[in-house]
Amino acid sequence: MTDALVLLVVVPIAASLFPVALGGRFERIGWFVAAAMGLVHLGLSATVAAQVLESGVISYAVGGFEPPFGIELVADGVSAPLLVLVSLSTLGVLAYARRAGPHSNAFYSELALLTAGISGVFATADVFNLYVFLEITGLATYALVASGRSPRAALASLKYLFVGTIGASLYLLGVGYLYIMTGTLNMADLTGAVASVGYTSPAILTSFGLIVTGLLVKVAVFPLHTWQPGAYAESPDTVSAYISALVSTAAAYALVRIIYAVYTTKFLDEISLAGDALVALASVSIVVGAVLAVMQSDLKRMLAYSSVSQFGLVVAAIGLANETALVGAVVHLVGHAVMKGGLFLTVGVFATGLGVRTVEDFAGLAAKAPISSAAFAVLAFSMVGIPPAVGFVGKWNIVVGAVEAGAWSVAAVVVVSTLLTLAYFGRVIERMYFTAPEPEADAVSTDGGNDAVEVSFGMRAVVVVSAVAAVVLGVLGSDLITVIQPALEVYF
Amino acid sequence: MSAADGSLSAYVESTIIMTTVRVVSPFVFTFGLFVMFHGAESAGGGFQGGAIVASSIIMLAFAFGIEPTREWLDDSVIRLIVGVGATTFVGIGIGALAFDGAFLEYAAYGISHGVKYGIELVELGIGAIVAGVIVSLFMNLAGGFNHDSGGDDT
Repeated sequence: MTDALVLLVVVPIAASLFPVALGGRFERIGWFVAAAMGLVHLGLSATVAAQVLESGVISYAVGGFEPPFGIELVADGVSAPLLVLVSLSTLGVLAYARRAGPHSNAFYSELALLTAGISGVFATADVFNLYVFLEITGLATYALVASGRSPRAALASLKYLFVGTIGASLYLLGVGYLYIMTGTLNMADLTGAVASVGYTSPAILTSFGLIVTGLLVKVAVFPLHTWQPGAYAESPDTVSAYISALVSTAAAYALVRIIYAVYTTKFLDEISLAGDALVALASVSIVVGAVLAVMQSDLKRMLAYSSVSQFGLVVAAIGLANETALVGAVVHLVGHAVMKGGLFLTVGVFATGLGVRTVEDFAGLAAKAPISSAAFAVLAFSMVGIPPAVGFVGKWNIVVGAVEAGAWSVAAVVVVSTLLTLAYFGRVIERMYFTAPEPEADAVSTDGGNDAVEVSFGMRAVVVVSAVAAVVLGVLGSDLITVIQPALEVYF
Repeated sequence: MSAADGSLSAYVESTIIMTTVRVVSPFVFTFGLFVMFHGAESAGGGFQGGAIVASSIIMLAFAFGIEPTREWLDDSVIRLIVGVGATTFVGIGIGALAFDGAFLEYAAYGISHGVKYGIELVELGIGAIVAGVIVSLFMNLAGGFNHDSGGDDT
């Protein structure tokens, strides 16, 4: 039954073949293949999660080659919830894409490949295997971003391709240094091997710098975020939601694994500069991302910069090397995925149904689309961090962790970021509910509505479900923490 | 259409090139297969072998013109090659599960030298994927941007 772990990666790869192979014969088979894959994936990730709840950690040796020589897959309290998150996000995005598209078979092949890559990142316990999955994730994302029809989408994809490849190469170079020094690629094996080489060894320090920088590019932390706003804003709404929910999340998860499982907190204690630099960079990212978000008029671009800020929070918590903060970081990863994916889909519903894309257009929207507007408001307030929603649970743990670690500056930055988050979401919500629509704006929205497709029940349902999920996850936050905590405790 | 016309007129038939390619390409193709088959025991493998096989086809396209090559090797054929390659890999991996092995555990099949044959089949599968993808990338690029390939994305 432990095969479920490897099948989480294999099933999406197999599913990505069908739309290509059968595409010539059946025009729109892609969605059905992807939906079947999503359901199987959910079954598998639920199986893995049940096993993790029962026995703590499960490990799988690919090909029967025992680790540290073979490739090992591991699921624990951190990766299991994230794997379930992948399944649910896939299904949610597919429910949305049924009507909204893109409808091409190529799109669903790429989506399945992306699912495989992200599942692999969450499941692997091998640093080189992690590189392979990061590249699968990256390549599928480049193609998905380019599936937007505008030339700007192609440009955004190309930019992402260049920057993302540089990031992945830096990571690979870092892995090379690690391998030369230790002769192993298995994460659990590396823990001891790195310690025996010595944390102050220049090669180990170089590898740390290269790996972390490479992953930070993928996480999109300021100033390495330049690919991200374009990629999120120019791609189709379906793609924006999926990649904003999972792609940077996968990279941030990889960062947690590498820093805590490979280099460990002892490394962070000994090389205090490493943690300090991470925290400093992340703090800048939190503030600058939020300020840039306030300045945007295009809503998708605003949400994209908001992610730069929110991932700053996660990286700051990683750099603090404090257990509470790290738990908060993982909770915030899950929460951010639900919230940001939901927000992008809500914006997609507004854009398809009413043709509004900028903050200006949002005036009086609540009267026209009350349910979606309510969902947007709930998700936005959750992102700000208002209890009982999930945004609060993550941020609260990060703040408490920062105070425990004595990093008052981080605590202050998180509080300031909450205010800034309120600033950029507040102005949208204020327009939606309290500004009367201008007659001109009305004309624009009907113009946009002409070539738009009808908003389907599935599209609305996903938006509402994500808003409800953000609140329910917040209420169940302590349960989520009891699952996550044991897996992170071992690092401290 | 204008781009396709342009690339056709840019093509010049050369007896020397055509003869050389006709002689050389079967050897290159065979060498590609040789490299793929050596993935199990020595230096070699699907990636390198696939790239060499693809180069033999690209060489044909250079010598005999891209449009004739496209007619000879249709896009659906390339798609099929990629699909078969990937299916081989995934099939061998999952097949081992049916024999109570781990994913990709070749020994589980219980055939003598099963590990070697398993790896070789997987390498052939990878080679088919790599060759197919390289050739289709080349053909797409050679098709130019006015070529009506955008229909695929709508």
